[in-house]
Order: sequence, then structure tokens, then C-alpha cells
Amino acid sequence: MPDPLNHQLKVLIVETLRLEDITPASIPDDEPLVGGGLSLDSIDALELVVRLEKEFGIKIASSEESRTALASVTALSAYLRAHADPARLPA
Amino acid sequence: MNAPAPAAATPARNPGPSWGYRFLRLADRWVPEPLFRPARAFGTAVALLNMREQRRHSRAYLRVILGREPATREVFRHFFAFEEMLMLKLRVADGRPHRGVLAPGCSDFRRFLDTPEDALLGTFHVGHSDLVGFLFGGQEQRRVSMVRLRVGNSHDVEKLGATFGRWVSFVWVNEGENLLFALKDAITAGGSLALKCDRLEHSSRAEPFQFLGARRLFPFTIYHLAIIFGRPVYLCVGVPGAPGESVIHSSPRWLPDPSVSRARNLESARAHFQVFLDLVESLLRADPYLWFNYRPLNLEAPARP
Repeated sequence: MPDPLNHQLKVLIVETLRLEDITPASIPDDEPLVGGGLSLDSIDALELVVRLEKEFGIKIASSEESRTALASVTALSAYLRAHADPARLPA
Repeated sequence: MNAPAPAAATPARNPGPSWGYRFLRLADRWVPEPLFRPARAFGTAVALLNMREQRRHSRAYLRVILGREPATREVFRHFFAFEEMLMLKLRVADGRPHRGVLAPGCSDFRRFLDTPEDALLGTFHVGHSDLVGFLFGGQEQRRVSMVRLRVGNSHDVEKLGATFGRWVSFVWVNEGENLLFALKDAITAGGSLALKCDRLEHSSRAEPFQFLGARRLFPFTIYHLAIIFGRPVYLCVGVPGAPGESVIHSSPRWLPDPSVSRARNLESARAHFQVFLDLVESLLRADPYLWFNYRPLNLEAPARP
């Protein structure tokens, strides 16, 4: 049973960055988001961070924090569970 | 695409002695201009002799824009134009009245100045452009964050920052790793953000544009930031005008359209940047000494297949 937050994040990544030829299901849970198979760069990371902040009411203040958060979908889920308002997370 | 530069352990220095800026300001107060200007020209000649790298790059740039081998006196003029800009910055920092005047045809920028809208302001190391942000803050009383490289002896910028501190703040690019996040904070905090669009070393994304007879790479990050944050972009440069004035040339307003694709937005952004770059080139062809990049000219992009 896939983690619903992981799935929500994959949809959000594809939508936000308008990734062509990539479906949410094809994004691995544990692959690095930046510099990995998705070929995201620092501007993509910034755009993703801005969307995540809006969507989950969090504040990612530095590139170091973003590296931790965006290490993978699993890492991002863990980061959001630790920092986001639980009401904004899927049950 | 360029990765952000790593943070510098020791900030670079502007050329010249550590006491140079203070000496210039002191001399400016006591030495009459008919004597001081030749003395500055002599100082520039000494700098020209000592700054081999910058001399080489100046010569290479002048060769491109003049279409022939430049004479040594032309390289000297290129250096002296920069020295005079530096002197102007010190004078403005010391409170000498100086104003920015919009060039004809800058109606979008005029409208922008008359509204409380915040924008991304792209500028270039050309002529009086270094002053545009300060004039924008001090004269128009608008808050602006300026993206700058912190160097070991940036007395001119520090003094200008102190003089215009109520309106102007800085985002230092030296912390390359955190630069984009510093820009995010500056944009979301309100106020406009001014960043240079001609040097590649701190740019996350670059694209080729026609400039000085070739397709050359220029930073393009400003448009990506505009799309991410939904902010308008104005490009501007300042050139010498009447005494006590800088003439500010500005592009029309460019605003990302959320109803069209990113590709369409970037396509119109490219056209926007190219039109302004053509204007910059025409200003430089009218006065070639206003290009204040004493470094290799922007790299030529590989030919399109």
C-alpha cells in the first residue's frame, strides 16, 4: 500500500515543475530529487520549495535545509510530518 | 547551466590600495577639480600599467566593439570611464545631489515608479547602472534589495549603503549555496530586487543571446524568479546625462502569464531580454567605454544544430 503523502508529493512535483514524460508513479521513493534521475536543478528546487511552503505552511530557510528535505520523496515526507501542520497532511 | 559558485573563504578585493577610496574622498573635498581630475587620470594610467589582466580584457572587448585593434589611449579611456564612475559613486555617497532621469520611451517604468508594485530589476555593468538602485531608493523612496558581490574593500558600496540605508539593502552573492534562498527571502519580504544580468558566475541559468556580433551566454535567472514569484521584470541601465544626472533606459514591463505554458512564458522572456540587449549594444556603440566588465566577454554559445 503506497504512502498517500508520498503519492501526493509525487503529483505535486510533476505538476509544479511541469515534468514532461514523467508520471508520479515513475518517481522512486528513495531517489535524490535534485541532481538525480529527475534532473532537477537549484531553480527547480526553489520552485518546489515555494510550492511546498504554500501547500503545507512550512518555511524552508536555507539550501542546506532544502537539501535535507529534498533528499528523496521519503525524506520529504518525513520532513513534512515533522514540520507541517498535521491538518494539511493526508490522513 | 552554471552551478552556484561555492562560498569564498576570503572575499576578493577591488584592485588598488586599501586607502584608495578614503584618499579619493578626502582629496575630492580639498583639491580643486582642475587639478584633481588630471591627478585621477595619472592614477588611472598607473592602474592601467599594473592591471595586466583587466587591460587584456579591455583590449579584447574594445577590439570586438570597435571592429579593429584599439589604441592604448582607447584602453586608457575605458579605464578612466570606470574611474570616473567610481568617483561619481563616492560623491553621491557623500551626499552630492545626483538624480536619475528616465530616457524617452520608458513609460512602463514611469508607471511602475508611480505604483506601489514590487518588481525584479535587471541591470548590467554599464555606465551609471551601479547607481540606479540607489537613485531608485533615495529619489523614488522605494525599497530595493540589491544583489552584490561582497569584496574586501567595497568602501564605495558600503558608503552608498549607509547613505541610502533607509531604502536600500543588500543580498550578498558570496554565499553561493544560499543565494537563491536569500533571493527568495528578499522577494517575499517585499520591496523590489535588483540583480545584474551580465555576469555568469553566480547565475543558476544562462541562455544565449545575440550581442556584439555573436550569440553569447547571459544570466537568465531573473525570468525564472519572475515566473516562480509572479513578479514583473524591468531591465534598466544608466548612462551619463547632463551634469548631476544619469539617464536611465528601461525595458517595457514583462510579466509572466499564468494562463500560458512555461515554455511560452520563457519564449516571450527571451524576446524581452534580446530587445533590451540590443538597446544596451546601441548605447555601447555610441559610447564604447561604458562597458564595465574588465573580464572575458560573455562566452559565445555553441552554434545551434
